[in-house]
Amino acid sequence: MSAGPTQPRPANQHVRRNPPIAGEEEAIEKARNGDARAFETLYAMHKRRVYSLCLRMLGNVAEAEDLTQEAFLQLYRKIGTFRGDSAFSTWLHRLAVNVVLMHLRRKGLPQVSLEETLEPSQDDGPRKDIGARDLTLSGSIDRVTLERAIENLPPGYRLVFVLHDVEGYEHNEIAEMLDCSIGNSKSQLHKARMKLRDLLRTGQRKEQIA
Amino acid sequence: MSVLRAMDKTMTCSEFQDSLPELFEAQADLSAQEHLKTCDNCAALVRDLEYIASQAKLLLPMHDPSPAVWDNIQQAIRHNPGDPHASGSAPAGRK
Repeated sequence: MSAGPTQPRPANQHVRRNPPIAGEEEAIEKARNGDARAFETLYAMHKRRVYSLCLRMLGNVAEAEDLTQEAFLQLYRKIGTFRGDSAFSTWLHRLAVNVVLMHLRRKGLPQVSLEETLEPSQDDGPRKDIGARDLTLSGSIDRVTLERAIENLPPGYRLVFVLHDVEGYEHNEIAEMLDCSIGNSKSQLHKARMKLRDLLRTGQRKEQIA
Repeated sequence: MSVLRAMDKTMTCSEFQDSLPELFEAQADLSAQEHLKTCDNCAALVRDLEYIASQAKLLLPMHDPSPAVWDNIQQAIRHNPGDPHASGSAPAGRK
């Protein structure tokens, strides 16, 4: 995996999710020329999105802050290589994703051993017996509940789910980032959604009992 | 299993669920699936999975990092104020 962000495809959700920010272009240009205030402006513009991405991928505040810091330091060093082929935020988020993935690999945690990560136990797989039909999720899940459920996903599932469903990456991009097959990415996303459904339905049942 | 196989009325729940990743990826109109017309459980499953995916797309960044993060970035840059395009400088550690 390369350390620097590649230029993702311009179409799809990234465009929708990364609209131009007023003043960003000027700040980029000044930051490229070493203007510290402009770099601070870019940090202020993007810190929340980058940190939220790190936090969702890692599920740990301290690590998320460390990697947010590292992502922006990499931005400081690499901003001169930004060619403008994609939205700046897309480029920066790809850089942040790479920082997180490199961190996970360095730690040697199970979530970076993709064979393990992407082939979890049967317990985590889709359930064929769907169970009671009286509970449906539609319209009943608030944002906080969903965020909490995502936090409780197994790390490998969480990575693919956050990258695809939250961040809007395509399976071919995820496969490249995680060094796995496209089919594996699709399969893991499905399992992640199934696991989330289980978690959310379990939460609903507990609420009903309480 | 092909997407077309999912049109088979005789498909079992297990077969249908196995085909779901492919169907979702193909952005197929799942409401047209024959299996769903006769299987409430799988229909509920599809509704839920579509709902989860749609809700995830609405999640927005909500957390700000602590002010210490910017302090550490500034400190690291001050300690290594060279060419911002240079590579290889180490990030600041957590305080």
